Amino acid sequence: MEYFIPSPKKGSESKAKVISRRAFALTSFKFVFLVMVVSRLFYLQIIKRDEFIIKADNNRFRKWKLTPSRGIILDKNNNVIADNFQVFKIALIPREIKSIDNFLSSFSKILPITNNEISYYKKKYRLHNKNLPFVLNKNLNWTDFSKLNYVIHNLQGAQPFMSYERTYIHPNEFAHILGYVSTPNQKDLNQIDASYLDVPNLKVGKIGLEKNSNKILLGIPGSAIYEVNAFGKRVKNIEKIDGTNGSRIKTSIDKDIQIYAYQQLKEKSGSVVVMNMYGGVLCCVSSPSYDPNKFTYGISYKDYDVLKNNEKKPLVNKAMTTTYPPASTFKMIVALSALENKIITKNFRHTCKGKVDLYEQRYHCWKDKGHGRINLKSAIKESCDIYFYEVARLLGIDRLQKTAFKFGLGDYVFQDFFEEAKGLVPSTSWKRETLGKSWYLGETMISGIGQGYIKTTNVQLCKMIAQFANGGYQIDASFFDSSDLALGKKIIEDDEHIELILKSLFEATNHPGGTSYRSRIAGTMKLAGKTGTAQVRKISESQREQDLKNKDLPWKFRDHSLFTGYGPADNPKYAISVVIEHGGSGSAVAAPIARNVMRKIFEKERKLNNV
Amino acid sequence: MYRSIRKNIFEQAWEKIIQFDWFFFSLICILICVGLLTIHTVDNSNSNYLFKHFLRISISLALFLFVAFINIKFWYRFAYVFYIGVVGLLIYVDFFGLSALGAKRWINVYFFNIQPSELMKVGVILALARYYQYIKLEEIDNFSKLIIPVFIIFIPFFLVTSQPDLGTGLFILIVCLGMLWLAGLSLKIFITGFFSLLILTPFSIAFLKPYQKERILTFLNPENDPLGSGYHIVQSKIAIGSGGFWGKGFKQGTQSNLEFLPEKHTDFIFTVFSEQFGFFGSVLLILLFFAIILKILNISLKSQNNFSRLVCFGVGFNIFVYLAVNLGMVTGLLPVVGVPLPIISYGGTAMLTTMFALGLVMSAKIHNDHNL
Repeated sequence: MEYFIPSPKKGSESKAKVISRRAFALTSFKFVFLVMVVSRLFYLQIIKRDEFIIKADNNRFRKWKLTPSRGIILDKNNNVIADNFQVFKIALIPREIKSIDNFLSSFSKILPITNNEISYYKKKYRLHNKNLPFVLNKNLNWTDFSKLNYVIHNLQGAQPFMSYERTYIHPNEFAHILGYVSTPNQKDLNQIDASYLDVPNLKVGKIGLEKNSNKILLGIPGSAIYEVNAFGKRVKNIEKIDGTNGSRIKTSIDKDIQIYAYQQLKEKSGSVVVMNMYGGVLCCVSSPSYDPNKFTYGISYKDYDVLKNNEKKPLVNKAMTTTYPPASTFKMIVALSALENKIITKNFRHTCKGKVDLYEQRYHCWKDKGHGRINLKSAIKESCDIYFYEVARLLGIDRLQKTAFKFGLGDYVFQDFFEEAKGLVPSTSWKRETLGKSWYLGETMISGIGQGYIKTTNVQLCKMIAQFANGGYQIDASFFDSSDLALGKKIIEDDEHIELILKSLFEATNHPGGTSYRSRIAGTMKLAGKTGTAQVRKISESQREQDLKNKDLPWKFRDHSLFTGYGPADNPKYAISVVIEHGGSGSAVAAPIARNVMRKIFEKERKLNNV
Repeated sequence: MYRSIRKNIFEQAWEKIIQFDWFFFSLICILICVGLLTIHTVDNSNSNYLFKHFLRISISLALFLFVAFINIKFWYRFAYVFYIGVVGLLIYVDFFGLSALGAKRWINVYFFNIQPSELMKVGVILALARYYQYIKLEEIDNFSKLIIPVFIIFIPFFLVTSQPDLGTGLFILIVCLGMLWLAGLSLKIFITGFFSLLILTPFSIAFLKPYQKERILTFLNPENDPLGSGYHIVQSKIAIGSGGFWGKGFKQGTQSNLEFLPEKHTDFIFTVFSEQFGFFGSVLLILLFFAIILKILNISLKSQNNFSRLVCFGVGFNIFVYLAVNLGMVTGLLPVVGVPLPIISYGGTAMLTTMFALGLVMSAKIHNDHNL
């Protein structure tokens, strides 16, 4: 304490001493600090060095994912049906944008955008998943694009890029089969690999083949690592890893037939499916249609509402999603099932009087006068309902179901098409389990003419008739052009049965009195097939007496018009199935369309053979 | 013989040049070169910092030499005048000063923006040294002898704090406390003062501006807000830490080159240096500073009068506080207060003040055999 308490005896001399001593005390304090700072530096620069090097690298290196170009889709003759066109676009990186309002207002100083667009982008941006780059739905020309690239460092969060945008060459014709691509939602992202996160302008298939084959079409994203400064401006390219573009897909679709069939369906609501004998789909059209190109960057609500509220449901794939009663096109299955189960012989006859009363219910034939005494072949040819009521009654629903299942009814035709419906073929156990009620015999009878609970999709009907036409071999239908499509195992027991049914179908189209005689094709290549008219409402006795014509009814209550057939009749190569919703009778509407499409196919076939 | 009694002006000058401490001067020159080098690495064609820094160094060096060759007696005589002059400037600034970021701190003098609060750091040293020159040791703790120093200290403190510039105000206060300590004020008074300050602290927090509170909170937990006010500390630590032992090499500092470091040419210049030259370079630089501080101590001990002694100690302590606060800040030991690294940092008044203060030390060295 002597140092700090000055003694009164000491004069100016000792005052200098006090100053010196206190200065030394202060200096030792300074050295304490020196040790502190040096040990702090030691801690930061030697102990924690590696950790801070990583942090410094995280600061300066930024990884950008490079979008792989989506695989193109070809038809069977190598015509491109889904392509990628080059576009210039701007992506906004939500992480780097503090305020979208400020961003867009400074953006509008560089490129002219209207106030409408600004408010549209703001609305869209708010709903946008902030983990993904937000792409302005605006295609730029090269001048704007280069101008933007020049000032881009002033516009934090904007990333101009050149990309390829999915473009469908024949949008309406192929809309349902190809589907469309769009920005992935969270569910889509969960389904694909994590490496696709943060890929700018990533589009995934939402429906149709685009979704079905999404993984093949997507490709593998590449990446580029840049050194950036604190403002995100790229300073140096460090590393670039090339991705792999999506693989091209060759489909079995014939572009010309697809377009022709779509034209045939103009202003109608329905679908046409054509398959070869091995299950390769030649054409699969649904009408009315929509423009899938609009979906690529988000369709406007207005356009979407128009599509959604359309009574004829353009967004629905009517070949795969909508189910219909197969009506008379189901009679081949009934006949085959009865023959195979030895319920009837091919010479089994039954008398049709136009109506029959059974189990306290009256059942009608489409022909009021009745067909008289009729055999199996004529019953198919003329589509006698009474005959098949009787056959079904004798056969029973459970045996019928087995045969229908063998031909692929009530099951998916394709693999991994989430929009495809399964349809339904009923049985006694099905009704008990699902509805909790016992089966009525009357229900068996109407199942005999393809009405009641039974529901099939158009592709199922096409596969069914193809399996009849190929001689009773099971096939796996596919949209892909592949040489390993082959006939599967035989699903019938006796060729004689098939021959009889095919002969009946031939006569139904090519002999006078057949239901589709008016839709026959002249020449060496002939069409054979079965019409169907599916009721969509129950006809009461009083309505039956009024004899209401279809065209007098509201559109929604009119019958569905169906036709399933194959050709050329003597050497079957193609199976066709047409469903026109609320079109009227099968012979009047569906059969002529099937004939036109089949004739077009024959023409192509003939040309091909001549060359 | 005659001539030897009345030395002519040339002989006087020659004596001064002989007394001139070349070692001290070269230490300063090395630091200046380190500063120029470091500023060069963060310079770009737009900013032109290097040239401006060089210009300021030249002016400051001229001032240093000018002050060094003026007899320390002159500074003793004009100590109060200088002090009062700077107080006048502070009052002037409060009314007519240039304002930036809500604080009035600068006076515009043609090529410089002068910050009187910086000059005040030297002002209080001179005034207190002058006052304690003739106060007897036995009287030093008397209440009556404390009144004047309290005024000397608190007039500038309140003027600077009301600018508002709490950082510089506290800085002046610390330098003054150092002076009082050196002058021999009783430890009891310090302890009493310390405890009364401790009691007053909670009340004074209420007077802090929001940004000052935020800085203190950020210092307590910088990672809480890495992109806000903690950004400076976090980025500075990354830059220093990633330098490692040998550093990333001259001009290879990624943190500073890519603009991740804020205020890199002024307050965070040490970070820039440390990133490039690592632990090795940083310790060398700090030792260089300590060499200067020890040299100042050495000069003051050899001085013949208490005024020179107190001025030298005060200047040494002043430089130490600069160094400590700046290094503490960039390494994350202290909160972010805008204090430059003496001699190295780019900046006008601080450079000028430091060189002026070092000039006083050199003057004390040259005239150490003079009695007042």
